[in-house]
Amino acid sequence: MEIAWIDGKPATRDEALRVAGDLFAKARQPFICGLRTDVSGLRAALALARQAGAIVDHGASSSIYGLISAARDAGAFLAAPAEMRRRADRVLIVGDDAGRVGADVLKLLAETKPDLGVETRKSGRRFLALSRQAVAIDPGSDISHLDCASKDVVDVLGMVRAKLAGRRVAEGPVGAGAVETLAAFLGEAGFAAIVFSPAEFGEIGTEMILGLAGDLNDMARVSTLPVVEWPDAMGAALVATWTSGFPLRVSFGRGAAEHDAQLYSTERQLSDEGEADLVVLVDALAGETSAVSGFARPTIVIADDPAGPSAAKVVFKVAAAGRDHDGVLYEPRFGSFVGVTGKNQSGLPTAAETLDALAGTLGGTAAEAA
Amino acid sequence: MLTRLKDGHVVDPANGRDGEGDVFVEDGVVVDPPGDGRTADETIDCRGLVVMAGAIDIHSHIAGGHVNTARLLLPEWHRAFSARPGETALSKVGWTTEETGLRYAEMGFTTVVEPAMAPSSALHAHLELADTPIIDKATLVVLGNDDLLMSMIRDGESDAAIADYVSWTVASSRALGVKCINAGGSAAFKENVRKFDFDDVVPDYGVSSRQIVKTLQKAVKALGIPHPLHVHCNNLGVPGASSDSIAATIRAAEGDPMHLAHIQFYGYGTDGKRRFSSQGRDLAELVNSTPEITVDIGQVMFGQTVTISSDELRQFAGRGQASPKKSIIFDHEANGGGVVPMDYRQKSYYNALQWAIGLELFLLIEDPSRVFFTTDHPNGAPFTSYPDIFALLMDRNVRAKWLDALPKAAVRMTSLPEIEREYTLAEIATMTRAAPARLLGTVDRGHLGAGAVADISVYRPGEDKAAMFARAAYVLKDGDVVVKDGTVVKRRFGRALTLRPEPDKAMKTRLDRYFDDRYGLKSRWFEVPEGAIGREDPFQVVPCRA
Repeated sequence: MEIAWIDGKPATRDEALRVAGDLFAKARQPFICGLRTDVSGLRAALALARQAGAIVDHGASSSIYGLISAARDAGAFLAAPAEMRRRADRVLIVGDDAGRVGADVLKLLAETKPDLGVETRKSGRRFLALSRQAVAIDPGSDISHLDCASKDVVDVLGMVRAKLAGRRVAEGPVGAGAVETLAAFLGEAGFAAIVFSPAEFGEIGTEMILGLAGDLNDMARVSTLPVVEWPDAMGAALVATWTSGFPLRVSFGRGAAEHDAQLYSTERQLSDEGEADLVVLVDALAGETSAVSGFARPTIVIADDPAGPSAAKVVFKVAAAGRDHDGVLYEPRFGSFVGVTGKNQSGLPTAAETLDALAGTLGGTAAEAA
Repeated sequence: MLTRLKDGHVVDPANGRDGEGDVFVEDGVVVDPPGDGRTADETIDCRGLVVMAGAIDIHSHIAGGHVNTARLLLPEWHRAFSARPGETALSKVGWTTEETGLRYAEMGFTTVVEPAMAPSSALHAHLELADTPIIDKATLVVLGNDDLLMSMIRDGESDAAIADYVSWTVASSRALGVKCINAGGSAAFKENVRKFDFDDVVPDYGVSSRQIVKTLQKAVKALGIPHPLHVHCNNLGVPGASSDSIAATIRAAEGDPMHLAHIQFYGYGTDGKRRFSSQGRDLAELVNSTPEITVDIGQVMFGQTVTISSDELRQFAGRGQASPKKSIIFDHEANGGGVVPMDYRQKSYYNALQWAIGLELFLLIEDPSRVFFTTDHPNGAPFTSYPDIFALLMDRNVRAKWLDALPKAAVRMTSLPEIEREYTLAEIATMTRAAPARLLGTVDRGHLGAGAVADISVYRPGEDKAAMFARAAYVLKDGDVVVKDGTVVKRRFGRALTLRPEPDKAMKTRLDRYFDDRYGLKSRWFEVPEGAIGREDPFQVVPCRA
């Protein structure tokens, strides 16, 4: 089976590694992106980036950056889905994306009732959606809907905060009655959970939602369950944070890790404004395909299912973590990392092995560069 | 290869050595001097230098979900962030696993214990520890706010069943011991309880903090876990209530070993017009008179830091003092927790008195084998402040200079100026080497006798004790020279020290069902598979006591 290509033509893996190493040697600003891989692959990618002076980001870090930026600017209350499954008696679903992006979380909440907590057990679990689109959950669930356009949600939640603080509020986009309903829904909770997608509201909107939870905790118990479309981006951010000090969007161009959430983002580096002149795309997770498709053509692709031999100057076919080999992956239901057994051990090189080998062509192993 | 550390001042209280001599190392362990006339393949000239076993830190938050959240919350304190400030205590420590290992090694520390690993974060913690170079590591797994334990106590389950659950948790998470953090307090906070004492009852369970602590203490003893139950008491930091809580907990030890963490934060009384005073002397006397108790201090030092704790109730209460004004509070299974940045200011009456209380405790607790050297990194201060603390303990003139800079009102409230004690090198070695190894049950370290792992720190003595301990002249890890003149010269990876108790198989079946039914989680997600760590030979098993 062919596992490496140069300029669209089959090559040995060693030849492809040599050519890829030459490309790195000539590059002024390498960029390692995609990062759809397991913890070993992430470690290797970060080590390669450090060794090569590269910028590194996940292809879908934009799906988590609203949360990361808001939390580190203003703080947060964050819950684990499994704990809310047992404890939350009120679930506020905010926005139009939460129902789709957080379908798994909402399903586990809809299929169960709170069984922890003196107060929470009393009334069962009630849902309230503040959205334009109706949220489809288990038909037996107690769910109400307040119609609100996504663009108005943040304003409405600001009004709820004002209302809870004892200030007068105007009619706003949904009317004062709806604001009262929201405030009462949350205020009466034994434990309330707010489910939302940070990507829908960006940093400022996310900060408002997190702030609402913070305000409510002065009197009651409330936490948030942010849901993200690409949970592996969160895993990549965590590994990057303990490795470099920063949650992705990091450059090693001057040796030490430097972080700039705009300058080193995938969106910018793969646009005409970006500095990257060599793009390494890592896309080797079981399941959905690349989170960076549609961007500029990469120089080197390391993927379990490359778009084709001509997907890049150099292409490596590798095993998919969690399917073709064992790996450690971020599991959003658990809120942490779990070991996953590959059920179809393919024997193909892993992304980590390929990145390590590539680092080896640069004059050292990736592990030494870590 | 036989290595000779020649003519150093060997300070090895575990083996009664405190004088000039040699230490021989071969194949990564300390060996007796060769009796067959063999000459060393390598000689390290230690004339004029102090030779000790590698230091052991029993309580330092260096890995796991909460630690990583602190990194995430405070990018501004990272040295390479564009908006960073100048030199601060926190900017010096660095944030990464890499820097943690290197900075510890440079000071001569070779084993560090992460003391608050949530069962659900065990794999994450071990992944970070595996990325922390040079030093050996270990973890304490946190129990005491988990639904299953409190339910088992409520339902009157047998001691054996509870011990099996504890055993499964320790084995799955690959921990070296068990920690209990504000027992029942986090669970109570989830029910909107805002204050929780030692004899208060967790709503919905009807069990008290005392019952939880005593149950875990009994289970740890029954399992032969060498490290006694490691307890973070209720009401941390609350004047009056904190000292009441720790006194009640100490009395509850009832003759069985118990370790109390960062007791400085419990040495607070309510005297004076500010309703904040030192209980250091009373607390030290209580520790002195209760031999089954060991403690670590959690010394506060001045400057920016961040508090990281699985005491969710305390972290929530402390968010009002956050500096900068932001915090992250977790409502996770069991303990949850929080990350709250803190700036301890030398000119603050409260912070100055906190600093003094920690030193009172260090100096008034008489037995250096029962008091351990910690800042509760980073809660009291980053671990990089250790050299300054060694100087404060060893030199009363250094203390006097620091006291001169404090608010006079704070100085009037502490007995520190009258305390003349100065720690000797042997006492420092006891507190940071021999005693921690005994406390953890790691008999192969903390001393320089034959058979000990060759983790050795060599210091260049001088009047400036802070300088001495900041940059080791040499550090050997498993016999390799890894530090010279305070700089890492060889990067390698240590291992995580773990227990491997054997829980009853029926407990595994029960937990498979419990986690699936109650949380929708797979019990194997709580396990740390050896192959997942990504390092060769990542663990060293420490035996439980028979």
